[in-house]
Amino acid sequence: MSEAVDYADPEPSAFASMLGGLIDANIENNPTKRKDFDELAARVGIWVTDIDEGVTLEFRRGSLLVHNGLKPKRDITIRAEAETVLNLSNLRIGLFGMPVYYDEVGRGVAAKLVQGKLHIDGMLGNIATVNTVTRIFSVR
Amino acid sequence: MAVSAFSDEWARQFKDEVNRSSTYKSAAKGWKWTVGLVVEAEPDKNFPESKGVVMDLFDGSARDIKVGAAADAQKCDFVITAPYTRWKQVATKELDATKGILQGKLKLKGDLPTIVRYTKASQEMTECTTRIPVEWPDEK
Repeated sequence: MSEAVDYADPEPSAFASMLGGLIDANIENNPTKRKDFDELAARVGIWVTDIDEGVTLEFRRGSLLVHNGLKPKRDITIRAEAETVLNLSNLRIGLFGMPVYYDEVGRGVAAKLVQGKLHIDGMLGNIATVNTVTRIFSVR
Repeated sequence: MAVSAFSDEWARQFKDEVNRSSTYKSAAKGWKWTVGLVVEAEPDKNFPESKGVVMDLFDGSARDIKVGAAADAQKCDFVITAPYTRWKQVATKELDATKGILQGKLKLKGDLPTIVRYTKASQEMTECTTRIPVEWPDEK
């Protein structure tokens, strides 16, 4: 593990370890994601509705502190089922660094948004943050 | 006819199920890593010794699936470890493997971005296990 990702809790949950590990690997392997990571300052909550577990990702321009559970003062909070959360990591990134919503995975994620099965609290005022987080998350 | 859980015959049927699945074939296109499942012993469930399932998977097909020692499975590129009871829950659809991994009920070792990229293939592989009629040692 690099020094960029750290955990706030002495015993990070499995979900926290997985997300932290995923982001760590992404920024290690991809300079574009690393650049996004170095510029992002935001508190992002992710709540997985079908396992009742969540994390707060505290991006601090070049470092990330992963907290178990939802912590206060979040800029955005993503709430979805486990499968949808993993699909967010499978969104392709297209022109101008925008997530692609017209392929199979993208259409699935967009449909969940429309159906209310994927909630992103705070999205309206933080579209750029949502897109940056999606790029950092994406394994594509 | 039901086969003994984690026996050679179970492995053969599992391989056949995987190779029959068109969903797996398309979702796992490009996959080229070995996967090991470690089934930890639970003597009180009539499962006295840990076993390992070694899966040689390549580009949408299962070239070989063998049951052997846990140590063999631990040498694979990706390793998923859980006690016998958890695997039984997965195979009987009581536990979704994706959720199980996010909850830490199943421990995953391996390159996270790669496994996330193949989430759909992993889910279909789990589905394949549920289609095999199994005789469970703790029910004998």
